[in-house]
Amino acid sequence: MTEILSLQRLDTDMAIAELKSCGGAARGFLGLDPVTQNDSLLAAELKSLQAQLFSAGETVVGFAPNTDQPRQAYVASTSADPEPLRALLEFLTTYQRCTTFVAMVPDGVENCFADCGFEQVGVLPRHRWQNYDWQDVLVYVGRADSCRS
Amino acid sequence: MPFMTVRHFTEADIPVRTELLRENKYQTNLNDFAMSAADLELADGMRRTIESGHHVKRLFTMCGSKGQVVGFSWITSIDWRSQTCELSFAVLPRYRSGFGFKAVEAAHEYLREQLHMDVIINQVLSHNTMMLSAAELDAHAQIRAEYDSYTVGQWRTACYWTVTRDDVRGRKQREQARRQEIADRVRAGVQGLS
Repeated sequence: MTEILSLQRLDTDMAIAELKSCGGAARGFLGLDPVTQNDSLLAAELKSLQAQLFSAGETVVGFAPNTDQPRQAYVASTSADPEPLRALLEFLTTYQRCTTFVAMVPDGVENCFADCGFEQVGVLPRHRWQNYDWQDVLVYVGRADSCRS
Repeated sequence: MPFMTVRHFTEADIPVRTELLRENKYQTNLNDFAMSAADLELADGMRRTIESGHHVKRLFTMCGSKGQVVGFSWITSIDWRSQTCELSFAVLPRYRSGFGFKAVEAAHEYLREQLHMDVIINQVLSHNTMMLSAAELDAHAQIRAEYDSYTVGQWRTACYWTVTRDDVRGRKQREQARRQEIADRVRAGVQGLS
């Protein structure tokens, strides 16, 4: 069995500081954007999403429960390294009883979802505004039984 | 590092902006409500804007190339659906010569590039010729509103005008064409020498 990266849970202030330090990689993370949202708004959004963020080395990963489907979580990562995401999925399966995961990732951003067994199920065209243009968002879905290492 | 950057206004900026609100030129050119308000009240207002005013008002801090605070800009009357807002800005006294234009440009850039504002409304009181001369103000003004505001004991006339996406594109193209023309002329001159 591969060794699981340890995740360190971040409280809100810390989570925001870490996200901001990730620069462009944090734009679109669970729908958040440190460029257009100030710290207070980021904190309010995190609270309304009931999101929890973790650091795994240099990477920030996080999830927000799908309140309509308690066995499903929205997940996000600031890096293309699959290991932090795997650790998050392991955590969600073990401690949150999640069976499926959804990720919405800005197009053009290198990501690790396919590496972790996610399947791209669609594209939301022109879903968010950034850098003078509409950006597509890719939708990935993963299942706990095929995504865990 | 770019010449001018825009970042979110934070609590740490409150004392600097409070001081600016009390400055004489600021009061004449923008508003003078700070004269009748305590520091704590001003700070509370700014804190409310930071914490809960996002949908109607946003404050930004303009920073120079070394990260130093040069001034502030803020947007009000935000209509997210129509993508319009009114932009105001104030530069700290010691940075006023030279930084004004850059600050406005950076604010416009951010509002269009990241917040997707299409139409930005400018309002300048007609006596305020710190950045635009009286003739330029006249040329820009689409509306002149007499008795628009009462600041520091006098009624002031305001000039209003909008800047649309097409305006910005046109201005950029003109600048580009001008730079190209100069570059061509220099190149031709250099070739003539050799």
